[in-house]
This record gives sequence, structure tokens and C-alpha cells, in this order.
Amino acid sequence: MTNMKTSRFFRTSFTRATARFALAVILAGGFAATLAAADPTAATDKTGPVKKKLTGAELYVIHCNRCHQERYPTEFNSAQWQTLMTHMRVRANLPAKQAKEVLKYMKEEAGK
Amino acid sequence: MKINFSSRRLGTAAASCVLGLAFAPHTSAAVSDEDFNTLKDMVQKLQQSHEQDQQQIQKLQTQLGDTQTQVQKTDATVQAQSTSAIRDALHNFTMVGDAEIQFAKTLRGADDSNGNPHRSGFLLADFAPIFLYRANDNILFEAGFDIMLNNGQANGTLLNSETSYTHDSGSSTSVSVSFAQLDYLINDYITFVGGYMLLPLGTYSERSAGFLNKMPDGPLGREFLPGAGAGVQLRGAIPIGDSGQMLTYAVYGANGPSSVDGSGNAYTLDSNGNQIHNLDLGGNVGLMSDGSIGNMHTAPSGGGRLGWFIPWGGAHQDLEIGVSGQTGVWDDAGNHYWTAGVLDAALHVGPSFELKGEFINSWYNTVDVGRVHPWAVWAQAGYKLAGLNLDLPVISDIELVGRFDKENDGLGTHIQRYTVGYVYYLTNTLLFEGDYEWLHSNDASVPASQLILQLSYGF
Repeated sequence: MTNMKTSRFFRTSFTRATARFALAVILAGGFAATLAAADPTAATDKTGPVKKKLTGAELYVIHCNRCHQERYPTEFNSAQWQTLMTHMRVRANLPAKQAKEVLKYMKEEAGK
Repeated sequence: MKINFSSRRLGTAAASCVLGLAFAPHTSAAVSDEDFNTLKDMVQKLQQSHEQDQQQIQKLQTQLGDTQTQVQKTDATVQAQSTSAIRDALHNFTMVGDAEIQFAKTLRGADDSNGNPHRSGFLLADFAPIFLYRANDNILFEAGFDIMLNNGQANGTLLNSETSYTHDSGSSTSVSVSFAQLDYLINDYITFVGGYMLLPLGTYSERSAGFLNKMPDGPLGREFLPGAGAGVQLRGAIPIGDSGQMLTYAVYGANGPSSVDGSGNAYTLDSNGNQIHNLDLGGNVGLMSDGSIGNMHTAPSGGGRLGWFIPWGGAHQDLEIGVSGQTGVWDDAGNHYWTAGVLDAALHVGPSFELKGEFINSWYNTVDVGRVHPWAVWAQAGYKLAGLNLDLPVISDIELVGRFDKENDGLGTHIQRYTVGYVYYLTNTLLFEGDYEWLHSNDASVPASQLILQLSYGF
């Protein structure tokens, strides 16, 4: 009987927690969409957004900054960046071609 | 006399000329046209041969010049390659990592044995290097260590009484391996990982370094999951379009949790007779410290994660969601299963705002108390004041953070916590973090509130 009550308690708590988490994600998504819509930099002309292939520098900001502060290319030399990007490609699960573009950018700007 | 001699000579010469002129037409007529043409052809052929020889000589001279240039280039290349090889041999080995110093002040809800609810001091000093060795473009070996200063402990008995005590005495240093893995990039979509791996259950275990977390301590509930495991893994990413959007995956087999006493009971006793949880989520590698082979269950556990990363407006505007899980037996007999499932999400809205969190759910069956169901949830938000464009040097380097987390261990203990804090970016990798936490729990050993300050450096 106690186990049944305990089990019910857990199920209830589990359900509540799941609902709260899902609600938080939905609210955050809505908040993000609102801010994105209000962002003047995201505005496009009447012909719609112009799609272009992202550069290594752009991919670097997109992928690297979401987990840590920006690391300046001059902090490491070219060979070190190659090792670090191999490490980050595995750790952050980056697509190979995008990781190579980022590496190309880092090497171009790397310290000597 | 002299004149006579010259006159005779001149006469002889004149006579010879006359004879020559007289006999000359007769001599020319002796070479036939055929001989002449043959001779002419021969001369022409000799001329052609001479011209060909000249051309050949020019060609050979040109080739010699090219060869000399090529040799010079090759010499330069070889020299550059040997220099590069020496440089690469040195630079293939790289060290990154992080280091932290913490100060904490805690306030307990109830007075401790000394009647003083307050405690404060420098909590830890931690150095966590990651060594990277890149053998070539496709092979990387990486190992992370955690070197931490711990308090030593002395036991004794109070004078004039039989009351025993323990006292912090001196210090000791612990060194642990956080992970040690070989990465082999098979192709653009599949990477093999083998060794002692960080497990992709949620994202926190792979992004938990002090300068990444933005809080001096970790969220509740992560102790319900193994952070690392010995095994093998396949992982990779599939890009979607050119916007940076991608699907990520990881599947692995690893030695799962184990039982402290080998049984499937929820509790067991430690060497001091204290009751402890029997489930051990720590690294289980089968090989015992004395070199013998221990129990390795009937089979390793299996797990994985699927993630979806969606940038929608370029940099700093993205959503990442993921679902992950692991299951496998945990007792020595292999009769009882431990299973976990994690939902994770991270949102960035502009360069200043971040929201991330995880929902952690796990179950394991026991002999004595049936199914145990630990679970936890945490959500953390951060806002960089630089987003306000105040142009104030110190204020603009601060990020405000807040966190809510809650856990229930499934065995009667629950904790709920509210945290507010800040990160002051001294540099891009040197962070001065602080937070204040309010905790609510039915466990008296959990402090009512605490202040934690941390200096964190990522390198």
C-alpha cells in the first residue's frame, strides 16, 4: 500500500515536473521568437532573406559561442588549432565540413 | 741581276695562268650532274642533320634548366617539410583545461554539534588539464584529469570524556581520470570513440567545466547519472542545409552501474557500518585494483543521444534539444536493471540571453524496496549586461545568472534549490563567479543557504 502511494506520488511529481519543463521550453521558445521578430538585424527586404553559405567565421560564432566565451584565433598557432578543432569536432559533435570551415578560418587568423 | 730574276718569275706565272685558263673548261666538264646532285643532297642532309642537332642541344639545355629548377624546388620543399615535421611533432601535443578556486560560506537550518550554524572557508582548489595528442588528421587521443586538494582527516577522543571526534588535518591531493579516450574520425559522418568516455546523457557532462557552467557548482540531479564510462561509442553529425542546422547522434556500449556489495539491494553497509546506497554509478572497468578480473555483469549497458540544433537568425540565435538514455543491469547476477532518460534543451536569443536545462529521470529495480525512481529537473538562465549597451566597463562585463533545480532520490530524500548569481568576465577565459543558494530539503545535512565564490580559468 505504501509502495502504491509512493509510486503514485512519484508519478504525480514526475508528471508535474515534466509539464513544468515542457512549459518552460515552450515559453522560452515563444520569448525567443518574439525577440527574434523584434530584432532589427533579422529584418529582411520584400524579396525575403538572401540565403548564402556561412563562412568559417560565422560558423565559429554559431557553434563555439553557444558553450563558451570566444577564443581568439591568435591564442594558438595553426597546428594547435588543428588539434583543438579535432577535439571540438568530437566533443561538440560538429559536422565535418563545418568544422573544416571553422578550422580554415582559425588557421588564417592564427598566431605564429 | 735582280730584275732579270723577277722577270723570269713573272713570265712563268703568266704562262701558268694561260695554261690554267686553257685547260679549265676541260677539268669542269669531268664532274657529272649526277655527282653534283648527289653531293648537293649530301650537303643538304648534313645541314638538316646539323639543324636537328642544334635543336636537340637546345631541348637538352632547356630540360637541364627545368631539372635544375625542379631540384631547387624539391630541395626547398624537403627543407620546408622537415621543418614543418619538427614543428608539427611539437604542436600535435596540446594541453587545454580549466582550474578553479572556491570559497564557500554555509548556513545550516539547524545548529550543528558546536552550536554554530555558520561555516566558511576556501572550499577547493582544482586543476583539470586535458591532454590532446593528434597522431594525424583522423586520430586524436585525449585524456582529462582532475587534480584536487582535499582536507586530510584525523580521528581522536576528547580529553576527560569518551567522545570521539574527527578533525580536518593537513591536506591531501586526489588525482582522478575524468576521461581517457581515442577518437578516430572514420568519415565525415561517423567518429569512433573508445576508452573511458564522457557519456552523452544530456549535455552537462560534456560541458561542465567551471568556465563553461557559469555557476560555481553543478545542478542537482547529475549524481543520478554516470558522468563517464568505459566502452565504445559511435557519434557524428548530419548537417541540414547551409544555415548551420544539424542533427547529432551518439550510440554507445559501456560498462554500466554496479552494486557495491554485489547484491540487488537498495542499501548496504560501508566499512564503518554506516548505511549507504548500494547502487554505484562510478566507473566500472571489470579489472580490480589487485589485477584480478571482477564481475562485469552479464552484458554492458547501452545508450545514446539524439540532438537537433536549430539556428534561425545566424549567430547567437539558436535552439538545441536532445533526448538521451541508457539501460543495463546493475547487480552482479544481472537480474536487475538500471535505466535513465534525459531531456535537454538550450536556447540562445541574441548574444546576451541564454536558457538551458535538463529533465533527468531514472529507474532501478531492487530486491528489498522494489523499483526506485530518482528524478531531477534543472533550468538555468543567464543575461549579459552588455546587452543593455550601457557602455560601462565593469557592468558590461557582468552576466547575471539564475537557476532552479529540484531532485528526489527515490529513497525518501528530496531537495529544492533557488540560486541567483553573477559571472564577471575578467578576460574571455578568466571568470570570477558567485552565487547565493536557498535550499529546502528533508535532509538535515543539507545547508539552508550558502554563498559560493569561484575564480575559474579556462585554458
